[in-house]
Amino acid sequence: MSQPLLEAQGVRALYGDYVALDGVSLAVDEGQFVSIVGPNGAGKTTLVNVLTGLLRPSTGTVRFKGENIAGIGPVKLAALGMARSFQLVNIFPALTVAETIAVAVVSQHGRGFSWWTTLARDRQVTERVAEVADLFGFATKLGLPARTLSQGDKKLLDVASAFALMPHIIVLDEPTSGVSTRDKNTIMETLVGAAKRIGIKAIIQVEHDMDIVFSYSDRIVALHQGRILADSTPEGIRENEQVVATVIGKTHRP
Amino acid sequence: MFHAATLFLVAAGLQLVFGVQKIVNLACGSFYALGAYFGISLVTWALQAGLPPPLFLPVLLVAGLLLAAIGPLVERLLRLIYDRDESFQMLLTFALVLMFEDVIRRLWGTSPYQLGQIYLVYGQLRVAGLTIPVYNLIVIAAGLAIAVLMGWLLARTRFGRIVRASAENRAMSEALGVDMSRLYTRVFTLGTALGTVGGALVVPATAASIEIAVELIVEAFAVVVIGGLGSMRGAFVGALIVGIMRAVAIATYPEVEMLAIYLVVVAVLVLRPAGLFAKAAA
Amino acid sequence: MIRRALLIVALLVGLLVPFLGRDYYATLMLPFFGYGIALLGLNLLFGYTGLLSFGHALFVALGAYVAAFFTTRLGILHLELILFASILTALVVAVPTGLLCVRYVKIYFGMLTLAFGMLFYSFLYKFYHLTGGDEGMRVLRPKLLGQSFESLDKVPFLIGPYYYYSLALLLVAAFVMWRIVRSPFGLCLRSIRENPDKAEYLGVSVRRYRFLAFLIAGLFGAVGGTLLTIPTGLADPLLAYWTHSGNLVFMMLLGGFANFLGPLLGAFVFIFLQDQVMSLTEYWRFVFGAILAIVVIFFPRGLMGLFEGQAGGRG
Repeated sequence: MSQPLLEAQGVRALYGDYVALDGVSLAVDEGQFVSIVGPNGAGKTTLVNVLTGLLRPSTGTVRFKGENIAGIGPVKLAALGMARSFQLVNIFPALTVAETIAVAVVSQHGRGFSWWTTLARDRQVTERVAEVADLFGFATKLGLPARTLSQGDKKLLDVASAFALMPHIIVLDEPTSGVSTRDKNTIMETLVGAAKRIGIKAIIQVEHDMDIVFSYSDRIVALHQGRILADSTPEGIRENEQVVATVIGKTHRP
Repeated sequence: MFHAATLFLVAAGLQLVFGVQKIVNLACGSFYALGAYFGISLVTWALQAGLPPPLFLPVLLVAGLLLAAIGPLVERLLRLIYDRDESFQMLLTFALVLMFEDVIRRLWGTSPYQLGQIYLVYGQLRVAGLTIPVYNLIVIAAGLAIAVLMGWLLARTRFGRIVRASAENRAMSEALGVDMSRLYTRVFTLGTALGTVGGALVVPATAASIEIAVELIVEAFAVVVIGGLGSMRGAFVGALIVGIMRAVAIATYPEVEMLAIYLVVVAVLVLRPAGLFAKAAA
Repeated sequence: MIRRALLIVALLVGLLVPFLGRDYYATLMLPFFGYGIALLGLNLLFGYTGLLSFGHALFVALGAYVAAFFTTRLGILHLELILFASILTALVVAVPTGLLCVRYVKIYFGMLTLAFGMLFYSFLYKFYHLTGGDEGMRVLRPKLLGQSFESLDKVPFLIGPYYYYSLALLLVAAFVMWRIVRSPFGLCLRSIRENPDKAEYLGVSVRRYRFLAFLIAGLFGAVGGTLLTIPTGLADPLLAYWTHSGNLVFMMLLGGFANFLGPLLGAFVFIFLQDQVMSLTEYWRFVFGAILAIVVIFFPRGLMGLFEGQAGGRG
């Protein structure tokens, strides 16, 4: 692997005088499942915003597939092959499950400006929508308006629509927050399974639930006060007392 | 300039309501017109009842203030859709515009009303070759006085502080125990009063006709945009600018009067969408 | 399927109205055709994309004045050419105004469109050498598909050939809009209405879509405007006044926005209701204001919302 898929180097992010990120460097390669952990205020969301091209770092670079993506914004990001899901439920209330996924499929296929064709008759789109919906367990719910779904399903739909972009990398912001402990594993299994089937090359997630983090990650990046405290495998993190104390101690849930 | 003063009053009313309640009240022009008509009626009646002419000004003020009583009623109506999209609120106020127009028709008929020359009772001044009725100067002074008063009200009094706080962050104000519905009623009534008084004061110089409601909203809107939504200072400066532009245009090239104002509106909306003195975020 | 049956019945009735005896009602249908087309456009912008324009009347007036200009100043009477010119003019105007307006949302968008509408009004009003000022500009009877129907008087022309021409145009416009709304493009517009931020994350370039919706709306508005002025024979600056834009929004709301047929129903009801109410009382504005208030407060989904049961999904 000559060049990492996603790479941040020496990133500093400032909000006025407040230093949210202080010299963060991170490289994600293909095939990795990276979890970003840390207490509230550590800078996780800021880091995600920088990595997804939403926030331009004050210094440092962030590259995706070798291209500079600092501050390019969501639309260009999607075109380059990176998708993101959100911590707070983010849906299209009046669109059905099928339509929600279709938006991603349509834009990914570059069909977004075709105004004369009937969407329902577009086989390529409808088949892909069915495929993605199936991976996430929405096969029987295709016609339901998104606002009628349960909280957990709404979150899953948000993730599913991001997956439908067929991205190379997907960034998940607390994918299991607001979901009951019982369902968390189901969601993670669905996620990982879908990622494999779709061919997503790398997953980055921000997660508070340490059990989930340890079960699924190849790599854990611990953030604290804007700096990377540790960046290692789950075993390596467990053995790192400093991390355990500052990060895991604060956020671990039984 | 005279026009600017009354414009300021209405604009101030608009700003206040928008700042706190985030409603763009298209019916403010109707309040203005109602103030004008009611003002004329009250003065005419008072004169017939033996009122000495010089006292007509206070009577106008009284008319305006009395009419502000419709404020709470309208506010009650608007309350029904507070949580809806702002576009809906604008539409409801548009419905009011239509309704008030016919109310005016019913009560006062369709021909314009005039108060005649009574305002000349205050005499006139000769300034730089122009004859200016003292009345106009009084109104300008009143406008300034109210501007100052509003400024003081907002900056120094408890009420003012609450208003400003609620404009910035409604949820927090509520959490801090501010009774929102009472506040809204008061703010709206104050905004209404500014409109009706403005209308009442303008009558001696202009006739009251149905068109003024609709025309005024257009100008008031220009003022509000130029000055920035939600800002008192903006209302003042905006009214000043519009007033000056109008005066200049009428004096030089009357045709472009409205056009020029609108070009400025568009320019401001494009360059500084929040207006010159932006306050509340969109 | 009841809907489809009703539509077919409506269409049949529409086709037969000129023969049903009452000329007056046939002439009343004519503004319905014009407004219907204009509203199809406005609904794309508001119902499907979520942008409420208080300046749509600008395009209606534009279409009207193009018709006036072409028939009286240029002596071109072919309605097809006039319509084509309306569309082009609408595009020319919509591109710069659209580029400016779609940078803003909600209230600011509404205000900016209102301002542009009024700008056009003041232009029409003041430049009377060009536009006839407050007297307006005459619109001569055009040739339909090359035929001038000289033998027919005004009313027989209007409820005869012109009626069917307008109806056909409405059907064509509705068909085109139907295709647009059912297309991937239409889906992306709706996603913008629902959640513009999320739409961006799914790769939808929000500003570009809004701009295109604005153009299409303007175009439909102009075609409607052209159709509107032929029966009256006059293009009037008041067509651009903000209250006219308000009426357009009123019609859309009355029928039910975000629903394909809603605005058409709204236009229909508005026109006929206005006619009835005006004959009953001179205070029709009050009645209409009250109706609008009631619709906004209690029936925000409009008449179509009532038919579909308030809980129905959106188009």
